[in-house]
Amino acid sequence: METLGFLAHGFAVAFTPLNIVLALIGCFLGTIIGALPGLGPVNGVAILIPVAFSLQLAPASALILLSCVYYGCMYGGRISSIMLNIPGDEPAMMTCLDGYPMAQKGKAPEALAISAIASFVGAILATIGLVLFAPLLVRFAIHFGPAEYFALYVLAFATIGGITGTNPAKTLLAAALGLALGTVGIDPQSGVPRFTFGVFELFDGFDAIVAIVGLFAISEVLVLLEEGHGGISARAVRVSRAFAQGREIAASAGAMLRGSVIGFVAGVLPGAGASLGSFLAYTMEKRYSDRRGTFGKGDPRGVAAPEAGNNAAAGGALVPMLSLGVPGSGTTAVLLALLISLNITPGPLLFQKEPDVVWGLIASLFFANFVLIAMNLPLVGLFTRMLAIPMWALMPFVVMVSFVGIYSISHSPFDLFMMVLFGVLGYVLRKLAIPVVPVVLGLLLGADMESNFRRALSISGGDYAILFQSGIAIGLYVLTLLFLALAVFLGMRERRPPGAEPEPAHD
Amino acid sequence: MTNGLSDRVAGAVLLALAVAFWVAAGQYAVTFGDPVGPAAFPKLVAVPLGLFSLYLIFRPDPDPRWFVWPGVVGQAATLAVLVLYPLLLEPLGFPLATALASAVLARVLGAAWLAALVLGVAVGGGLFLVFDSVLGLPLPLAPSFSF
Repeated sequence: METLGFLAHGFAVAFTPLNIVLALIGCFLGTIIGALPGLGPVNGVAILIPVAFSLQLAPASALILLSCVYYGCMYGGRISSIMLNIPGDEPAMMTCLDGYPMAQKGKAPEALAISAIASFVGAILATIGLVLFAPLLVRFAIHFGPAEYFALYVLAFATIGGITGTNPAKTLLAAALGLALGTVGIDPQSGVPRFTFGVFELFDGFDAIVAIVGLFAISEVLVLLEEGHGGISARAVRVSRAFAQGREIAASAGAMLRGSVIGFVAGVLPGAGASLGSFLAYTMEKRYSDRRGTFGKGDPRGVAAPEAGNNAAAGGALVPMLSLGVPGSGTTAVLLALLISLNITPGPLLFQKEPDVVWGLIASLFFANFVLIAMNLPLVGLFTRMLAIPMWALMPFVVMVSFVGIYSISHSPFDLFMMVLFGVLGYVLRKLAIPVVPVVLGLLLGADMESNFRRALSISGGDYAILFQSGIAIGLYVLTLLFLALAVFLGMRERRPPGAEPEPAHD
Repeated sequence: MTNGLSDRVAGAVLLALAVAFWVAAGQYAVTFGDPVGPAAFPKLVAVPLGLFSLYLIFRPDPDPRWFVWPGVVGQAATLAVLVLYPLLLEPLGFPLATALASAVLARVLGAAWLAALVLGVAVGGGLFLVFDSVLGLPLPLAPSFSF
C-alpha cells in the first residue's frame, strides 16, 4: 500500500503547471517524431537531451519531457506504417503487415483507431506493471554489492544486442569499444589522466551526450543519404479522424491484452526492446487466433497485437533502467544518459534518494497516456498530414537542432567536432553491421562498472576471486553464458543456407 | 560472396587499438591504498576488444556496399557542411551560418534552389528565435570578423 502513497506524491510532482506543459509538448513532439519515417525514438530523444539539459530543467521535469517523447514515439510510429506501409520507427514494422492492407481496403480510420486504443492499453498496462515490479526489483537489488554490480554490468553488455539479427561477436566488440572509450579522461579515483594524449578537452572524457547525438542523429543523416529516401513525397490518403465501432474494438480486445503481456515481458528482459516486443506479440497472436488466414490481409487483430506489444515493451524497458540502472534498449540507454548527466545515479537507491524523479515520472507517464490517446484519436489528421514533410526539409532541421543543442551546453566548437566525429564513427559501424547501442552503453556505464570493479577488489585486497564468490554474482554470470550460447546458436541457425528451414521471421 | 575485407580492416584497426590501449595502460602507476589502480580496468577491457577484433579478422562477414551512387556525392557534401559549420558558427554568427548550412543540406537532399534557400532562412531564423529569444540560450548573432 505504500506504493499508492508514493504514487499520490508522484501525481503531486507531475501536476505542476510546468510539468503538465512539458508532458503535453513531449507527447506532441513524440508523436511527430515517431510518425516521420527516418526519425525514430532514439534519434528523437537523443537530439532533445541537450536541449532539455541546457534549459536547466529540474531533473524530474527533464525526465518527464523526454519520457513523454519516448511514449509519444511509440504511438506515432504506427501512423506511417498504416498510411504509407513505411514504419515510422523500427518497432512499428509489424504494424505494416495488417495496417497497410486495412488502409488499402478503405479502413484507415478503423486501423488508426484500433491501433491507438491498442497503444493505450499496452502502455497503461505496462505503466501499471512498472509500478508493481520496479519496487520488487529494487528490493532484490538493494542487496547487491560491488561484485554483484560488476556481474550485472557484464550481463547487460552481453545481452544488449538482443538474441536475433546481429552477429554476437560484433555486439561484444562494440561493448568493449564503448568501455575503452569510456576510460578516456582523468581517472576519478587516482587523478591520473588516461588516453588523453595531452589534449586538455579530453580530460573530462568523451561527453556521453555529444557521443549519443553524433552516433544516432548524425549517422542517421549519412545513412539516409545513400538509401535514397531523399524524395519521399508521400501521397497519403486524407484521413481526418480515427474511428472504429465498438464491435470491432471488442473483437480485438483479446489481442490487445495478450500483446500487452508479451510486450511487457519482452521489455523487462535484458536485450529485448520494443521491436522484439511487437514482433513476438504479432507472431504469437497470429499463431493463436489466425484461424481463417486473415492475418497479413488486413485483420484488425494484426494491428492491435503488435501496437499493444511495442507500447508495453517501451514501458517494460523502463523497469530495469529505473530500478537497476541498466537499460535494456537503445532509447532507455539514452534516457539513462540524461539521468547521468543530471548527476543522478540510477540504480536501486534512486527510489529512496530521488522519489520525486521516479514517482513524478511514473505519474506523468499515466497522464501522458491519456493525453496521447486524446491526441491520436481526433487529431490524427494533423499527424497524417505531417507525413508529407519532405526529407530535404526535415533532415537539415534535425542536424541543426543537434548542433544548437550541443553548442548551447558548452559553447565549444570542439564539442561540435566531436559530435561530427562520432557521427562518422556511427556511420562506419552501422555499415559494418556493428551495433551502436553497446558503444553508447559502454561510454555511459563504463565509469560505474570500473568503480564497482575497483571497490570489489579493494574489499578483497586485490584478490580477483571476490568477483565470483556470491551466489547472485555466479547466477548473473551463468545467465550471461546461457544468453550468449542462445545468441550464438540462433546466429548459426540464421546463417544456414536459405531453404534448409523456413524462417519464422518472414512468414 | 565477397571477401570480407571491410571486417578484416576494421578488425585490424581495433586490434591495434586494443594493443595500444594495453601498452598505454601499463604506464599508469598504482597509487597507494588502491590495490588495483587505474591500469587494471583498461587492461581488462583491452582483452575482449583484442579477442573480438581477431574474430573479426578470421571470420569476417560479407562486405557492405560502401559507395552507393549517387549517394556518395551527397554524403561528401554533407560531411563538408558538418565539418565547416563548427568553424564558421562563431565567425559568421548563428543565423547566417545555420541558414547557409541548412540550405546546402536541403539542396543535397534534393530540394530546388529556391526551396533550399527559403528553408535555410526559415531554419536559421527560426531556431535563433526559439533558442536565443524564447528559451534564453545565448547564441552568437552577428558576424564578427575579428578572426
